[in-house]
Amino acid sequence: MTVFLQSLASGILIGGIYALIGIGMTLIMGVMGIINLAHGQLMMVGMYITYVLFAFLKIDPYISLLVSMPALFLVGVVIQRFLLNPLMKIEAILPENQVLMTVGIGMVLTEIARFIFSSDYKSTTTAFSSQVFFLGTISLNAPMVIAFVIAVALTLILFWFLLKTDLGRSIRATAQDKEAATLMGVNSGRITIITYALGAALVAAAGTVLLPIFYLFPDIGGPFTLKAFVITILGGLGSTVGAIFGGVTLGIAESLGATYFGMQYREMVGFVIFLLVLIFLPGGLKRLTKI
Amino acid sequence: MEDDTGRPEVGRSVAEKLITKDKVVILGGGYSSSVTAAVAGVAQQNRLPFLINTGSADDITEKGFDYVFRLNPAASEYSAAVEDFLTTVVKPKTVAILYENSKFGTSSAKAFTESCDKLGIKVVLNEGYEHGGIDYKPILIKVKQANPDVLYMVSYLMDAALLMRQSRELKLTPKVFIGGAAGFTLPEFPQNAGQAAENVISATLWHETLPLPGAMDYFKKFEAKYKKDTEYHGAEAYAAAYVIADVLKRAKSFGPEDIKQALKETDMMTVFGPVKFVSYGKKANQNKLSPYVVQWQKGNLELIWPKELAKTKYVYPVNWLKVWGYE
Repeated sequence: MTVFLQSLASGILIGGIYALIGIGMTLIMGVMGIINLAHGQLMMVGMYITYVLFAFLKIDPYISLLVSMPALFLVGVVIQRFLLNPLMKIEAILPENQVLMTVGIGMVLTEIARFIFSSDYKSTTTAFSSQVFFLGTISLNAPMVIAFVIAVALTLILFWFLLKTDLGRSIRATAQDKEAATLMGVNSGRITIITYALGAALVAAAGTVLLPIFYLFPDIGGPFTLKAFVITILGGLGSTVGAIFGGVTLGIAESLGATYFGMQYREMVGFVIFLLVLIFLPGGLKRLTKI
Repeated sequence: MEDDTGRPEVGRSVAEKLITKDKVVILGGGYSSSVTAAVAGVAQQNRLPFLINTGSADDITEKGFDYVFRLNPAASEYSAAVEDFLTTVVKPKTVAILYENSKFGTSSAKAFTESCDKLGIKVVLNEGYEHGGIDYKPILIKVKQANPDVLYMVSYLMDAALLMRQSRELKLTPKVFIGGAAGFTLPEFPQNAGQAAENVISATLWHETLPLPGAMDYFKKFEAKYKKDTEYHGAEAYAAAYVIADVLKRAKSFGPEDIKQALKETDMMTVFGPVKFVSYGKKANQNKLSPYVVQWQKGNLELIWPKELAKTKYVYPVNWLKVWGYE
């Protein structure tokens, strides 16, 4: 029983961070109809910002959220404004050439990071990184719990933003029906910029809270882009609620899979679920709800 | 000089670039075994000598590649001294083995499992994991349930640090934690594992206090220049540079055949130990060296075995909860 509960707890905590990674991708997917394949790489940039602030200015990783999120918001604005939006006007053989562009952006970001920081592993160690507390027999480490709490808080703020503000409503309107939204006076060009920037800021936050638990090197983005992709498909393309369930489901599945099938099948568990969802539940977990 | 970024496909393409575009006369390097194997293939195809200094999966020198030479011993030979330490000091009945499912990890774990069978130590858990995980608690909680005397781990740096940190978080307390070299001896290991690195034991191939000419000198020079400690990985690469310099001096020309011949005739002393490439068993052009055992004590990596070479006494038994700051 301890084994099961420990694995479940670990899975839920990591799932919270996965959800935060997935939400950004799903927002972008919803509004622009493209998969952002530079998503993990944007997270990597956010992590390097956190690392630099920690290493040179001794700024606590959680405080640097206030820097990494706005910084990645700006990076997102630049990418969408100058790299992705211009492509929409061009008639190409491949309709989704924005997706190809994101692949390129991801590669460029990775190589820039390698150029500046080399391939060495970087990590932040803080006073609380080794703090542990116990819930019965289950061991929880402080940075993981803090990361989970921050992920939940940011998600709640995002929902408030999407449901209660004009800008949030415009984003949802554009996601539901771009042409109708444009006819109603929504500036869809501006909305795509804000959405991409928001997605980048959210994944930067995920990277920042992940850094004290994990570590950092230039190639860290790729695996997380894949994870975000799996979460987005699992949750149902464009569904923010779905992304939360997708993230937590993936976290729990990986954790239980590692316990009961073996740690070397950790990645496989995620992708098997991914395939099963595509085959039996196209449209993802969103299909099961009315939201 | 090119960065293989730890990925076989990148290693392959940069090796090809070095050979065809930069027209190098000899390749040196090779850290990760999977990358080293890929580069070794490229070197053999192009008939260009390659001196490996770290990549240690057994089969790299077992493929009959006559242009590939290896300075460091093979992975399966890393644990010999550890086995001696275990049978003399710890006398364990059970062991759990965790390994990264890479070339180096599986190669080392397989050899250690065979040794345990020979020594009559029961392997209660033997599991691979995928490199780069965030959360190792699912696998570690299983180790805790199996309650082995020894936890033997074959991991690269960051996985090693996470495994130890999370063992501490789970209060997983075997009699000893043993690392199969690689990640467990690097100076970055205690930096990342913190308290959890203390008293962890590891196999190693080199230590600065060994009676080797220039070993201590190299250690001090490295420390002065890079402001951090070094260990066997650094010594391997340092020695390899001397071997390459020596080979290029002795070679009749810089043609690949002459350099290969000079490599074959190598017989020199380096900071890493004597270097002479021999063929034995299935292996060819392999340098033979004996491994040692080290332990992290108060943040320093100390040589503890074999006894006659050790300058510091091993810490055993260990009260882990006290070392980890719980008590």
